This record gives sequence, structure tokens and C-alpha cells, in this order.
Amino acid sequence: MGGGGGGCSDPVSVELSMGGDYYHSCCGDADLDLRAPEGPKLPYVGDKEPLSSLAAEFQSGSPILQEKIKLLGEQYDALRRTRGDGNCFYRSFMFSYLEHILETQDKAEVDRILIKIEQCKKTLADLGYIEFTFEDFFSIFIDQLESVLQGHETSIGAEELLERTRDQMVSDYVVMFFRFVTSGEIQKRAEFFEPFISGLTNSTVVQFCKASVEPMGEESDHVHIIALSDALGVPIRVMYLDRSSCDAGNISVNHHDFIPEANSSEGAAAAEKPYITLLYRPGHYDILYPK
Amino acid sequence: MAAAAKYNRGNPAVKRILQEVKEMQSNPSPDFMALPLEEDIFEWQFAIQGPRDSEFEGGIYHGRIQLPSDYPFKPPSFMLLTPSGRFEIQKKICLSISNYHPEHWQPSWSVRTALVALIAFMPTPGGGALGSLDYKKEDRRALATKSREAPPKFGSPERQKVIDEIHEQMLSRAPPVPQLLTNETNTETNQLPASDTSDEHAHKAVEGVNTSGSSSGSIDNDLPRPDSESEIAQNIVEAPAEGVTNHSRTNTSRESIPGIAPTQLNPVVEIQKPKHDRLLTLAAFGLTLAIMALVIKKFLKINGLAGYIEGKF
Repeated sequence: MGGGGGGCSDPVSVELSMGGDYYHSCCGDADLDLRAPEGPKLPYVGDKEPLSSLAAEFQSGSPILQEKIKLLGEQYDALRRTRGDGNCFYRSFMFSYLEHILETQDKAEVDRILIKIEQCKKTLADLGYIEFTFEDFFSIFIDQLESVLQGHETSIGAEELLERTRDQMVSDYVVMFFRFVTSGEIQKRAEFFEPFISGLTNSTVVQFCKASVEPMGEESDHVHIIALSDALGVPIRVMYLDRSSCDAGNISVNHHDFIPEANSSEGAAAAEKPYITLLYRPGHYDILYPK
Repeated sequence: MAAAAKYNRGNPAVKRILQEVKEMQSNPSPDFMALPLEEDIFEWQFAIQGPRDSEFEGGIYHGRIQLPSDYPFKPPSFMLLTPSGRFEIQKKICLSISNYHPEHWQPSWSVRTALVALIAFMPTPGGGALGSLDYKKEDRRALATKSREAPPKFGSPERQKVIDEIHEQMLSRAPPVPQLLTNETNTETNQLPASDTSDEHAHKAVEGVNTSGSSSGSIDNDLPRPDSESEIAQNIVEAPAEGVTNHSRTNTSRESIPGIAPTQLNPVVEIQKPKHDRLLTLAAFGLTLAIMALVIKKFLKINGLAGYIEGKF
């Protein structure tokens, strides 16, 4: 990397990553950004679009889907698409959560999640992870969290938040933070997650985390959402846009609320409605905005 | 560090790399040494010790590490500069995880993890992986001895200085190339039946037939397990070399050699036997033909036709 000096001062530049290129050709490493490309130019997190754009997309599609989109339109009025690179769940969660904090300026929530994050760090350390291998990912998320709270020199607005979510460095580090948190939670509660995992793959809990949680670009499933929601104590609603229908004449959009373990046992908190809503289409998550 | 100031423009890769340098210095390993060049912390030099109880024992193998600008998202690349007979020099070595998802490098790994894995690879068969070599044990031992004499010459004077420094430090802690090894070879071959007089021949037979590398595999059980990360390192495997991990690691050299010997010697006997048989069959066939010809001639003579045949001449 002779020209490393110029290239490395620009964190977004990847063309100098000789190692990566080499592995691409030698080990058949798929370029993570090219995995399941939805659109070559789609940013990590897109602009807010009216729900009608979703209807337009399925104009000539399945009537069940069209009907479901119509039903979605009764509760939701906008969506934000994310890039289909296998990290879409985490990027959707990242933007949605930070945007929520930016809008509500909920200081109590930030204090609460910071305690949770500390616990996640401890979990990883207890599991034998070496601190320097994860601390950078944690500190970059905490930076973002503090930035969306107003009144500091480093505070940012909605536009800057979107820009940062689209910045490869910030975005990937935050995704990796969530991956570490998810992996730590799954391993900490291995007994709880084991039946889910053995249903999905033939691997042990640790193998699953190494192969399907920690590597960038690995898609997320129920297991990941449960773990992340529990670890950070953030409820998540997922609306399912698929072809399933209960009765021929009675179509409804299925949804599932992921209510964190700790919260659900507290009774009062159980009633709390998720403020993060994701739209799930098989293999992909986008952000939904309620009316 | 001057390099830090130069790069530290919010690039978290730099911070991470500096952390790794610090960690390496505070927890030095007797098995390897690695440090970045002063002018570019994405460029490292390292040296590893040949794993104990292998033909690499006592060897000091230098190499170069390149860290990508988006490290730790992308893996570091490794290249050996000292001939080892196991890895080609100045060619990138392909390290990856095997078992389930060969394409993934994990950000939770580090240069240390990769070096531990690299040492663990040395006694495993190359299996045709890119940049791997399958030299004979004797040649590898000779290279191990040679590796101590002088560090490789590579790169800029600054880099050379780092290489030389690493070499000196490694030399001070590396065990000598064991002289026992030749005797060991003899004890191994002595286990073979009928090897008392033809030690060398039997040994050659073992190595010759055993091209799949069982001879080097017999020492796999002694893979170094230098620290807690070795478990992670176990998951890292030279990518295209399939079956490496399946290779029996439980056999000790004493058990495996006699076990292999009969299967090696039998084919030789079996090949010779049919050859011998065929020759005899041919001779018998020829003899039968000759006798038949004689009998026919006699028969013709008796019937007075011999004159006709003889008259032809």
C-alpha cells in the first residue's frame, strides 16, 4: 500500500484495500456491498418516501400484496428504504432509533440505553472477547447517540444524521456494534436461543454467532431481532409484507412486536408501544413511519 | 508515534491498529513478534518461530503484513519473506475461516489471532492451497537452519532495519534447530519391519508412497497452542486446503508409521507378483505352441504329407 498516506486519510476510500481485493480473487470472498444488490446507487438509508411509492412498485404484482399495501396505508404514510446488503436490519434500526432520540430528545432513554450498552460490553468481556476488538464499534455508536441530543457543541440535526448513516465508516461501525451486541446477547443466553438456532441451522450457538451474526453482510432473522431488542431494551415492531393470507376474503397485515425481556416483566412497561417500525419483505427490512 | 499523527484523521482503523500494537507490546508472545513500520502503520513486519516438534522447529520466518484501510472489516494480508518449504515467499497467504463460511474474516480477530493461526498452519499439508508448498521434511529442516543465519533482504532501509531488529530478538529467544531430528527419523524408520539393514530405503519408501502428507501429518498432534486465542485460530484455515482439519491429529508418529508401513509395502509385492506370473504364462504358452508345432509336424510326416511340405523348400 504505497499510496496509503493519501487514501487512508479518507476513511471512505476502499480502493487501496489490497487485502480485500486479494481475498476476493483468492478465497471467493463476495464483495459485501455487492451482495443482493437492490439498486447499485441506493444509499445505505434512503430518503423518506410516501407509501404510495411502495404501491407503485407492486402495481403489477400479486393482488394480495396490493391489498396489504392498501391496509398498511391506513396506519402508515411513509417509508425509508435501506440498501439490501445484508445489513439492512441493523441500518434500519440505527437510523430509526437515532431519529427517534433526535425528535423526542428523550434524555432518560439515552441514559437508560447507555447503561444497557455498558452491560453489553461486560457481557462480551465475560465471553472472552478482547476489549480492543470491539470497543471502537461501541464508542462510535455512543458518539452518535450523544450527537443527536441537542445542546452540545457536537450536536447534529436530521440532515447530518442521515448523512452519517450514509457514511460508510460511521454506518459500518454502528452495524458492527449492533452485531457485537446481538452476538453477546445470544451467547449470554445460549440456553434460551439454542432451540431457535437449531431450528434455523445445524450449528451450535457459538458457531451461529461466528457465522451468521458477527460477519458483516449476514442477514438477520427473528433470533437477531429478539437478541438486539432484549440486549438494548428497545421494542421493535415488524410489519410483514408477504403473500400469506389467513382467509381468502379476510386479508390483514401480520405484525410482530418484539418486546424486550426485561420490559415485559415490568408490567407497566409492557404496554409501551414500539416506536421503531420496520417493514419486512422476505429477505429485507425498510423503515416505516406511522401516521 | 509519528505515524499516528499523520493518519489520525478520524480513521478508526488507525486507532484500532495502534491498540493492537500496544496490546502486542504489553503481552509479548515467545512465538512471534510483529510491529508496524514507523512511516506507515498499515505496513507491518513480523517473524514467527517454527512450531515445536515439527521440521520447522528452530526456524525464524520473517514476513510482511498489510492492513487494509478499512481494517478490521477486511482481513490483513500476510506474506512470508523467509523460505520455509511450506509457504512460497513474497506471495500472499490465504487465511480464512473454514468449517462453515470460508469467505468471512471477523472484525473481532486481530493480527495476533492471524499469526497464531499461521504458526498452526505450518505443520499441516499445503494441499495445493494458493502460495503453499509441500517440500520434504529434510529440505524444510535445512531451510529452518538456514533461516537463522541471516534475516531476508526486503524493502526500504527503514524496513530492513525493522527486519534486522526483529531477527535479533527472535534469535535470542528461539530454541536451536534440534539436532535430534535425524536420530528421530531413524527411530521412526526402525519401527518398520525389515528395516534394520535398509534404513534409508525404507524411509524413502515411506516418503515416496506417502505423498498425501501423512508423514508430516503425524506431528499434527503437536500443533502449538500458545495462548487463549488458539481456539479462534483453529477456525482459521488456509482456504482451499480442504480436509486439513479432518486430518487425524490423534496419531503419534510412533503409532502412525507402523500403521502405514504394511499398506505401503504390500503394493510393491503385489505389483511384482503379476509381472512375474505373466512372464511364466508367456513362456508356458510359447512352449505349448512349440510342442504343438512339433506334434503337428510329426502327424503330417506319419501321413506322408511331410514330403509335400518339405518339397516346398
